[in-house]
Parts: sequence; structure tokens; C-alpha cells
Amino acid sequence: MTATGTRPPAGLPGTPSRPARAGRAGAPRRPSARRRRSRWIGLGFAAPGLLLYGYVVLVPLLQSVQYSFFRWDGVTQAVWVGFDNYTRFLTDPELRSTFGHVLVLVAFFSVLPIALGLLSAALLTRTRLPGMAAFRWIYFLPQVMTSIVIALVFKRIYAPEGPLNEALRAVGLGSLARSWLGDFTWALPALGLIGTWAGFGFCMVLFISGASSIPPELYEAARMDGAGPVREFFAVTLPGLRGQLAVALTLTITGALRTFDLVWITTRGGPGTSTLTPAVALYRAAFQNPQVGQAAAIGVVMALLCLLIALTITRLSEKD
Amino acid sequence: MISRTERVVNYTVLVALAAAVLVPVGYFVLAAVSPDRAGRPALGDLRWENFATAWRSADFSRSMTVSLTITVVVVVVGVLLALLGGYGFGVLGVVGEKALFPVVLLGMMISLEAIIVPLYYQFRPLGLTNSVPGIILIHLGTGVPFGVFWMRAAFRALPRSLFESAELDGAGPLRMLSRVALPLIRPAVYTLVLLSFMWTWNDYFLSLVFLHGDNQTATVALGVFQGKHVTEINLMAAGGLLVAAPVLVLYVFFQRKFIAGMLAGALKE
Repeated sequence: MTATGTRPPAGLPGTPSRPARAGRAGAPRRPSARRRRSRWIGLGFAAPGLLLYGYVVLVPLLQSVQYSFFRWDGVTQAVWVGFDNYTRFLTDPELRSTFGHVLVLVAFFSVLPIALGLLSAALLTRTRLPGMAAFRWIYFLPQVMTSIVIALVFKRIYAPEGPLNEALRAVGLGSLARSWLGDFTWALPALGLIGTWAGFGFCMVLFISGASSIPPELYEAARMDGAGPVREFFAVTLPGLRGQLAVALTLTITGALRTFDLVWITTRGGPGTSTLTPAVALYRAAFQNPQVGQAAAIGVVMALLCLLIALTITRLSEKD
Repeated sequence: MISRTERVVNYTVLVALAAAVLVPVGYFVLAAVSPDRAGRPALGDLRWENFATAWRSADFSRSMTVSLTITVVVVVVGVLLALLGGYGFGVLGVVGEKALFPVVLLGMMISLEAIIVPLYYQFRPLGLTNSVPGIILIHLGTGVPFGVFWMRAAFRALPRSLFESAELDGAGPLRMLSRVALPLIRPAVYTLVLLSFMWTWNDYFLSLVFLHGDNQTATVALGVFQGKHVTEINLMAAGGLLVAAPVLVLYVFFQRKFIAGMLAGALKE
């Protein structure tokens, strides 16, 4: 761990106070001529990155908004349709169903991984026993695996003749065996569990780092008061992790909203539309049977939701 | 300092979680060396040649070269851009910083989905779709916000007096960056290299949209391969391990730095 390695969790994504702080640090007093010159040189240093960022991110972002007001198949003349693409997102049953799916996915991509992350972090920080580093290493392993490989692993696990069904048959629960990812009821939860599996190690690392900055005196005080491990967790650890919880919530909820790779490789949104997510709907609308304006509108709504989620959670976590 | 019962309970829970992570991975690894097309593990008969077969029949030489080219260029140029930008924002100051920096931060919060559609239709007439330089540009541009944010934090953690004394000695900004600051922020650069390598290599969405045919990256080629070989699970699993290997190898060798780096990655959307 480097000094810089422990620094970032203090700054939440989208913390509104950050830019303000940055501004203040820039000009302590009236800037001298030399200081002013340095700031122009600074702009020169930052310029290549900023220009590229502007060209690849900011310009398309504005164009996305513009596209979203047109009906366009990507080839012929675009037609102005106002807010039609947005209202369709809310009224078309197939597109609207994606919101419901996202809510289910939030439970699996966010709530469960955070709960498991808290549990494992609490166990790993409370006891300094041999083997703890190995557990941390194992739990974090899914983070470095390519999402497509994770998808393939679980496609295999969930297959009709895969190990999960074989295990069920072996213990006499063969009647429960099914094609998990091909089942209208079970496909979405099955998909969600992949997200839980992949994500809880990340939450754990985040919480371990947060817990290491909780003053040990707080734990001592709690123990003096006769608190057991459970009370200690709720009285000391959990409140101490507020900042890390905010980061974890923001990233996992926006992650659930944006799920693409896992769905695309395992179910393509099916069976039917039972696992369709906004990102998959966007991909289809943009590149399969082009309704470019509709795709842009989905992208804009997703970006706004991500921004809103990040800002709300940050705001809530900073309030005392 | 903890009771025996508590210790037993702790270990039980930890082992159960570890098993939940390792069993699927282990099953997949065994499927990759299985002689059986259905991928049923056969411990007595490990077929290591499955890797070579999968490599050949998926034509991974080509797609791995594409992935490697993209990743190396993005890591090298991206880190350079991040260093220059972070140094500008963190040390020299930047004209218009109060307006510019929040705009940079915005880039960490908005998602790729918000820009992918116009990006595609703007890049197409320029010949930048289905082109390796095109996708490199996109990776670099979308990587700027996190890179600048990350390096700026590292530069700001250094004492200001360091730069002031170097300035008195007559060092210019570039010299201060390369000779004074760079050696001190090596750990942060290192982390950025690891993260940027992993994010670029593991990318699927961008490559799926922008690269086809001979320009396919390893992740997309793997997707195509598994579509073609639905009945040869063992080869499909072997291919999957080959594609995941570079980052897994890095993880094994640099695990402490990796975990620290992913923490920092908490800030990337």
C-alpha cells in the first residue's frame, strides 16, 4: 500500500466539494506574474489529454442529446420527433421492463455484494490469524477475470447438464433441476448471482481499507462496555465505513444499471425479454436494427440516472 | 484475543465464501483440461493439449496480437497523458481550472453508453470504425478523467517545498516533472499501469461495437469461438483461460499492488 493507495477512498465520485477545494488550492493569494505563467504552462501540459477527452467524450455526449430528439435508421434522412424517444422508453412495455429488471439486479449486484463484503471484511479485520491474506486474495480473484470468462464459467455451471443440476440430482432434488438461464422465472436471479459472485470481493477490499482507518480506541471503548462482536460491528465498524459504503453503493448500483457483457454473453436478454437491460436494449437499437435516436435516448437517460445516483448517495453520506 | 467458538465460526464462514468463489473457477479449469467434449472433469486424464488446440482453432495468434497492440499503446500513451495532466492540475495549476476540473470529473461519472452511439456514427465516415487506431483513441479519451484525477492526487501528496526548491535551482517544469517528481510517485504510476492494462485488455463492449473480422480483440474472438463450439465445452473453457491469462498472471505477481489499485479504481465509473 502506498500513500497514494490509501488516499482516494476519501474522495467520493462526484463529491461536489472536491472541485471547489481544487480551485482554492490553485490561487492562495493574488497570483504573481510567474504564477500566472506557470498556470498557462500547466494548461499546455494538460492540453493533449483534455483535447482528446473533449473530442472522444464531451462532443459525443452533446451529440447524444441531439440524436435523441430524432428518428433515424443510421442511413436515411433523420426526422425530428421531439421527446418521442423518451416517452417510448417509458411506455413501450419491452423497454420499460428493463427498469424492473434493473431493480432486481440492484439487489444482486449491490445489496448482496455489500452485505457479503461487510461480513467478510468484518471477519478478516477482527481476527489476525494465519491465512487471512489468502482469503483476501481469493475473494478478489473475480475482479481481475474478464467479464466474458466469468460469463462462460457460469453458463457452464447453469447448463442443463452442468454441475449445479448434477449436484441437485445427486442429493435427490432432481425435480428442481432446470436450464437456469433459459427459464423465464429463474434467468434473472441466476444472472444476478453471477454479479454477486463477481462483485463482493471488491466491496470487501473497500471496507477493509476503510476499517483500517477507524481509531482502535473506539473498539476498546466498545469492548469495555461489554459489546460482543455483533454489537461492536453495528456500533463502531458500520458507522466508520460510511464513506466506503457510499462509494460501494454508487459503483454497484450504477454497475447494475449498466450491465451489458454478462447478459449479452449468457442470455442476450432472453428468454423472451426476461433479462433485458437498458444497455442491451441500447446496443440492439444502435447496432442491430438501427433506431439510432432511440438508442441515444436510452444512453442519455442512463447517464442522467448514473449522475443522479452518484450525487444523491454522496449528498446523503455527507449529511450528519 | 477472541474466543474459540468465535474463531471456529469465523473460519467456517470464510472457508464457505472461499469455496463459493473457487469451486466455479476450479470446475472451469478442470473442464479446460478434460478429454470429454462436454467438459466433465476427469482427474486421471488431463489433456493439456486442449490449450494448443483451442489456440489454433480460435486463431488466437491474430486476436491476441490485436489485443496486445491496443493494450500496450493505451497503457503507454494513457499514462503519459495522465502524468502531464495530473502534473498540470496538481502542481503547476491550470488556467480555467475551476471550470475545467469539474468537467474532467464529470467524465468519471457519465457512462460509455451515453457516448457510444454518436461516437460510432461520427467515427464511421472518418474510417475510424473497425480500425485499431480508432479504438485506441477511444480508450485514451475515456481514460483521461481517471488518469488525470489519479495522478493529480499523487502529485498533490508531495510536499510543495520540493518543487519550490527545485525551481530556485533553476529547473524548468518539464525537468521538475521528470527528475524530481516522477521518481517519487512511481507507486502511483505503477498502479495506473496495472489498472489501465486490466481495463483495456478486459474490455468487451467497445471492441464488440468497433472491431470486426481481422481486427477482433481476444475477448470478442472468444465470444465468437464459444458460439461456434457450443458442443466442445472443453476447448471453449481452454480458450477462456487463455484470454484471461495475461491479467491473471499479473494478479498473481502483483497482488498487493493490484488490490491497492482496484481500491483507487473505486473512483472510476
